Amino acid sequence: MGVLEIHNLRKSFNGTKVINDFSFDLTELTLNCLVGPNGAGKTTTMDLITGRQKPDSGRIVLRGDDITGLGEHEIAQRGIGRKFQVPAVFRDLSVRQNFEVAYSRQTNPFRNMAGRQPPGFAPRLAEVTDLTGLADRLGTEAGLLSHGETQWLEIGMVLMQDPAIMLLDEPVAGMTEAEIEKTVGILNRLKRTNTLIVVEHDMGFVRQIADVVTVMHMGSFLAQGSLREIEADARVREVYLGEPEV
Amino acid sequence: MTRNLYHDKRAQWLLYGAVFLALAAVPLFVSDGFLLNQFATYGVYGLLALSISLGWGFGGILNLGQGIAFGLAAYGMAMTMQMQSQDPDSNPIPPFMLNNSLDHLPAFWEPFWSTGGGILLALVIPTLFYVVFGSLMFRARVSGPFIAIMTLAMLSAWYTLILDMQPYTNGANGLSPPSPLTVFSTQIDPYSPTAYWIVCGLLILATAGTKLLTQSKFGLVVQALRGDPERVRFLGYNVAVYETVIYAISGFIAALAGCAWVMLVQYVSPAQLDTNFSITMVIWAGIGGRLSLIGSILGAFLIQGGQSYLGDQFLNTWLLLLGAFFIVVVRVMPKGLAGLLELALGALARPRRGDGTGARADGAALPAAGE
Repeated sequence: MGVLEIHNLRKSFNGTKVINDFSFDLTELTLNCLVGPNGAGKTTTMDLITGRQKPDSGRIVLRGDDITGLGEHEIAQRGIGRKFQVPAVFRDLSVRQNFEVAYSRQTNPFRNMAGRQPPGFAPRLAEVTDLTGLADRLGTEAGLLSHGETQWLEIGMVLMQDPAIMLLDEPVAGMTEAEIEKTVGILNRLKRTNTLIVVEHDMGFVRQIADVVTVMHMGSFLAQGSLREIEADARVREVYLGEPEV
Repeated sequence: MTRNLYHDKRAQWLLYGAVFLALAAVPLFVSDGFLLNQFATYGVYGLLALSISLGWGFGGILNLGQGIAFGLAAYGMAMTMQMQSQDPDSNPIPPFMLNNSLDHLPAFWEPFWSTGGGILLALVIPTLFYVVFGSLMFRARVSGPFIAIMTLAMLSAWYTLILDMQPYTNGANGLSPPSPLTVFSTQIDPYSPTAYWIVCGLLILATAGTKLLTQSKFGLVVQALRGDPERVRFLGYNVAVYETVIYAISGFIAALAGCAWVMLVQYVSPAQLDTNFSITMVIWAGIGGRLSLIGSILGAFLIQGGQSYLGDQFLNTWLLLLGAFFIVVVRVMPKGLAGLLELALGALARPRRGDGTGARADGAALPAAGE
């Protein structure tokens, strides 16, 4: 029984099977890395979980609640937060305003006309800025942040949502060594109190953060286990050694 | 560490207050009724520019069909005023209908016997139309230039419909109610300070209300979805609902403008739903600065004032001048004249050259929730 269960998911684009009978269980308070060669269907799986794409068949269950086929905002309201591969922040708003929008406990437009922020906002903001190290950047326009800061801002925005599960799509893509190191620190703190799925190519990074590694290949589940088990798995080695660019 | 005064909320409200006061004081200095009436119509244009600034500037909805709400409300108001000069027993049918050989009042004219009911309908029907049309567009995730095309097409459809319904709308001639609006058995002389103050009051209330709206959490979400609707959706907000609400509020303000306009000029025709006029509204906001409510309003004053006074001297060249001015503004200053002020104040706030560290972070344009 996982906090998120995926049962027999299938999705084709123009007859090409991108996700083929994929099943997966996510345990609460773990950081689960989703790895696999290019085209394995990792990002499509993220799209299916968050409602950006609708599966052809299969079920996605969040804490016993079937969320298959719901709209993006409904799934987000039920507690799935997502960080995109290409960082998506509101570039012409300040860092603080980005966090304000992300604090989405109240989503009704008319209720939001009344005031500025519900009471829980300030403590949450303090927590998130402390974790992401953006406390002294709150007044800065998000478009002026460095690449690393933009990635941390988006991780922080997902945190402001207070999600049951965080999905992070390649959180260290394009980062410098020092930035990666800081991100490792952030994720290792996060996984004590949060449940995360991280899609990642960089095995060095996976080694530093993963509790559990799930390998996808050709849209299907290939293997799951600790990193050591995965590295010893013959099928995984075959898939990876056959794909030298990964 | 001085911040740009342009983004200071208190300074913004001070500026708004000063402009409101100046506008309200105009009748104390202008006694010519004709001039006062003309200034009041500028107030109507100000309301329209405000509605465009809210929808386009803040919500990113490039609406080229704002004449729909303006025109429909204007027709509703004109119908109300027309029925005020009809008598239910002796003379129930407006003269133009008799000329078009109608022998009874069409059913959809009946509610306009009541002044309150008529004005209410004039405001509610365009707003409801915006809710329905908006939710159809935004739920289908229509965005960017496609919104411009759809709103423009819808505007043309209404224009044609009203033009073609000659017996019910008097076609191209439009409606010209014979006497001014009467409310609570007082006639409102369109050339009086009272009429001016009514329009001025509407403009002040609508502007202050819109300003508060843009400073609320709702306003912040709207500005966020202008940049990246996808991100907003994944944060749990129903983007289509937000877009529909902002579009409908913008339509309601334009409907207010339509009612006020007919009160001032006692006339409406399909020309109010002409595409030229709706595009002109966008030009006002574009030149004044669509990201600034007051900038858009002043842009409307500037351009309509320029048209009235310079337009007579330049005749057709005026349109060329306006077009050239618009291109220059959009090309050089995407934030319009208000953006120029933002730059100037930003330059003032920046520390002097030499002690330059941090200058970029401070002087950099940082839009506060409102502007």
